[in-house]
Amino acid sequence: MHELESALARIRSAWMAGRSALEHCPAQWREAVAAQHGEAALAALTGHATSVLFRTAPSRQLEPRPLLPELALPIIPETLRPRLRRILAAQKGATSIERQLIDLVAARRYCLHPADWMPSPRDDWAPDLYAPWLDWVRTETRADAEHSALTVESYENWPWAARRLALAHLRIADPAAALAIIAAKAATEPAERRVRLLEILEAGLSEMDAAFLESLAKDRSEHVQTIARAYLARLGRGADPGDLAAELAGMVELGKVGLINRRTRLVIKALKTSAQKARRDELFRIVSLAALARALGAAETRLMEAPPEGPPEAIEAFAQMVATTGSDAARKALQDRLLEDASCQMSHLRVLAPRLSAEERRSLTAPVLARDSDDLDTTLCIAGRELGALPLSVLLAAPIYKSLKQLVENVLGGPDARRTHDNTLLGATLNRIALLLDAPGAADLAARVVSWGLAAADPKLDLLHLNAALKTETIP
Amino acid sequence: MGLTRSAIEAMAPDQSALKAAAELLKPAKWPVRARSGGLIWGECQGSGANPYRVIADTDEHGSKCTCPSRKFPCKHAIALMWLFVDDSATFGDAEIPVWVSDWMGRRRKGAPPPASGASSEAKSLGDARAARPETPPDPKAEARKQAAADKRAQDTRRSVRGATEDLDGWISDQLRTGLSGYLNEANKRCRRIAARLVDAKAGALASRIDEMPSRLLALPGEERIDGAIAEFGKLALLTRAWRAAPDDPELRREVIGAETREDVLANPDAPRLASLWEVLGERVLTRRDGLISQATWLMNLAMGPQRFAVLLDFFPASTGRRSGAFVPGERFPAELAFYPASLPLRAVIARRDESIDAPDAWPLAAADPLGDVAEQALTVPWRIETPLLLPAGRICAEPPGRTWWRSNDGILVPLRGTLPDLALGASLVHAAGLWDGARLALIAACTNWGRLGFDA
Repeated sequence: MHELESALARIRSAWMAGRSALEHCPAQWREAVAAQHGEAALAALTGHATSVLFRTAPSRQLEPRPLLPELALPIIPETLRPRLRRILAAQKGATSIERQLIDLVAARRYCLHPADWMPSPRDDWAPDLYAPWLDWVRTETRADAEHSALTVESYENWPWAARRLALAHLRIADPAAALAIIAAKAATEPAERRVRLLEILEAGLSEMDAAFLESLAKDRSEHVQTIARAYLARLGRGADPGDLAAELAGMVELGKVGLINRRTRLVIKALKTSAQKARRDELFRIVSLAALARALGAAETRLMEAPPEGPPEAIEAFAQMVATTGSDAARKALQDRLLEDASCQMSHLRVLAPRLSAEERRSLTAPVLARDSDDLDTTLCIAGRELGALPLSVLLAAPIYKSLKQLVENVLGGPDARRTHDNTLLGATLNRIALLLDAPGAADLAARVVSWGLAAADPKLDLLHLNAALKTETIP
Repeated sequence: MGLTRSAIEAMAPDQSALKAAAELLKPAKWPVRARSGGLIWGECQGSGANPYRVIADTDEHGSKCTCPSRKFPCKHAIALMWLFVDDSATFGDAEIPVWVSDWMGRRRKGAPPPASGASSEAKSLGDARAARPETPPDPKAEARKQAAADKRAQDTRRSVRGATEDLDGWISDQLRTGLSGYLNEANKRCRRIAARLVDAKAGALASRIDEMPSRLLALPGEERIDGAIAEFGKLALLTRAWRAAPDDPELRREVIGAETREDVLANPDAPRLASLWEVLGERVLTRRDGLISQATWLMNLAMGPQRFAVLLDFFPASTGRRSGAFVPGERFPAELAFYPASLPLRAVIARRDESIDAPDAWPLAAADPLGDVAEQALTVPWRIETPLLLPAGRICAEPPGRTWWRSNDGILVPLRGTLPDLALGASLVHAAGLWDGARLALIAACTNWGRLGFDA
């Protein structure tokens, strides 16, 4: 066999170089290649011998990866998978609702089948239930992680996604224990992961976190420093940029509203030049709410007694300042004022959304929808992961319902020139509404839209049908 | 606006379309017919190996068919609507399948399109259905026809023989002048010799050579030399085999061209097998000659030596994207008629029943999936792809980017193509793939996560 192998190698080399290979033909084949077109005959024997006598082998010992773990929630019912795949395949670009779709399925207490969707290594946004898959795609699975509690000593035994999830749960159950682990181990992590660890401290942020946050003032990562400063500001601590706060205070004033119940209102003065506006926006980014309040001689919450007044972009910048550095009470106060005043733009709520609890998201979705614009961006932002729970009655009372009916009419009978655009818009609108409605609401709306003339099999109704069929799984 | 006979007559492009549709009114040609609201759909066994999928909207009179006909509506759509109008009770209510929804999503609603090339001739369903008067056979004319066919066959044999000898010379030249040079100019060189073969009426051989460059260029760089040697070797074996037995139907098919579906069904020597079949998957390839080849791989779920079958169709790329005729994983009882061969593989569906939810397990695979390959390679050494069944195993990755199937006993088979992440994390109970002599391209597997399909 070794001789044959050598002969085949010489034949191959001859043909690579552009020479006849007949002289290298093994003796037992000579007769077969002696006739006309011997090279072709030799190729027949060579090719055949190579494919049946030899098998390629890997360059080293191969071991399979650990099996992909099963998740805590059941997989979406098999009958719904084709429709879900069709919806996923249709998602692209700015109108993609892939993330929200995955959140909706999780909200109904299911996970996706890994053949239909798996997170990529960068998908930190994936719902917590996918942590084991995230660790698997990052090849960080550790066999012993599940058997030990998360402590400073066992920290390294846990894969990253599972570790972060365990810390988040521990922060709720025992904030001090979570702080101790994060404080001990954050420095061993790269910057991106230090940021994620720091974000865990946002839940239940309190004075006991201050010392650790202050130690991050000299962190190698600017992003880590920024977050630490913001958290300290929420606690009313941190470096006080007195002159900057005074400069910003000069750009606003405190007014009064109400005849009987006099309330303080923050008024952001109109500015003339774009350079001034840029400076104001920069100051809103740098100065904390506490520092601004001190410069104005008032408490944080006093600034929120009435909705702020001023140019929309300035209110947006102020809202961002509150979201980043305001105490929980100040943040909630601003949120309430924006909701109470019908003249306030709902879009200002978006910057406050990251600090909303799940309960707040559920309770705010309906009032926001009642005033949201047709793209429902703000409603979906406020809802966050709390999807698929809105009753149809809320939608029927919202402006979007009338717009939806008009869109269907346009698609079915409107001018040809607009039909493609309206069709795309209708698909996007139905998807967004479908993400918000509860299952009975989704079924009801689908029936209504079909009664208006859209075909029941139209793929634009796919997400409504999926929602309607995806009954919440009850885990005993 | 419901569907009526006069509406069908009005939308038909011409009387010949109605006549052709009349030929398709036998219920046996329509194993699937269903409806949901105003939508009707069905599967029609046409002249291709894969059935055609047909949809029609009885309200708006739009329709769609996967056949390559340029007439609109085609005879299949007309026949489907005609069957519905004649007896709508034969269309059972059913949930709208994925391929129908896909069409709904792409469809522009509005006024029904005018019949393509609508002729001014009177169109009548009644006339289309009327039996044609039979002309009595003319023995002399038949004899003349037969003699002409025999002469044509002789001439073809002569010209193909010459062309295959030229091909052997061409192969020898490519080897002697250097395979690196050949690989750099494979497209141009293969085109030239393929044209010679087409002129000599060796169309099937010409197509195979025309597609050789894309097969070779799909290989990793370090495998192309060996790939070229293997391809040339198979061609040399094929041409020699044909010259030794030019009337052998299998060799004729590989060199000159395949029989029609009707020929196979009418051939008493075409082996038939009635069994329960599972659709493993589909491979769709765009060829250099402007045709798209659609190969549907089937697996016999019953015991027996005939494990696999492939339904092969070709249609012009200009007819646009065609959805698959079957859903991977679908199971149906069917009788297949195989193109006669020493190891039959290509087949057509002679008869098919509706798909069923059969819980049958996959058949057992041999411990060494490549164990039989040597034997098969002696019988059909020119075959490009051999379907294999694999026993339980796992997929392992070898950096940078190679994958291997590894049996529980440690047998390794190199794999082709990019695999989804899940494949590396699943336990494969069974798998099926296509072996090309160097690597295996997986088609489907049964895993701990259920059935997994692998796109080409």
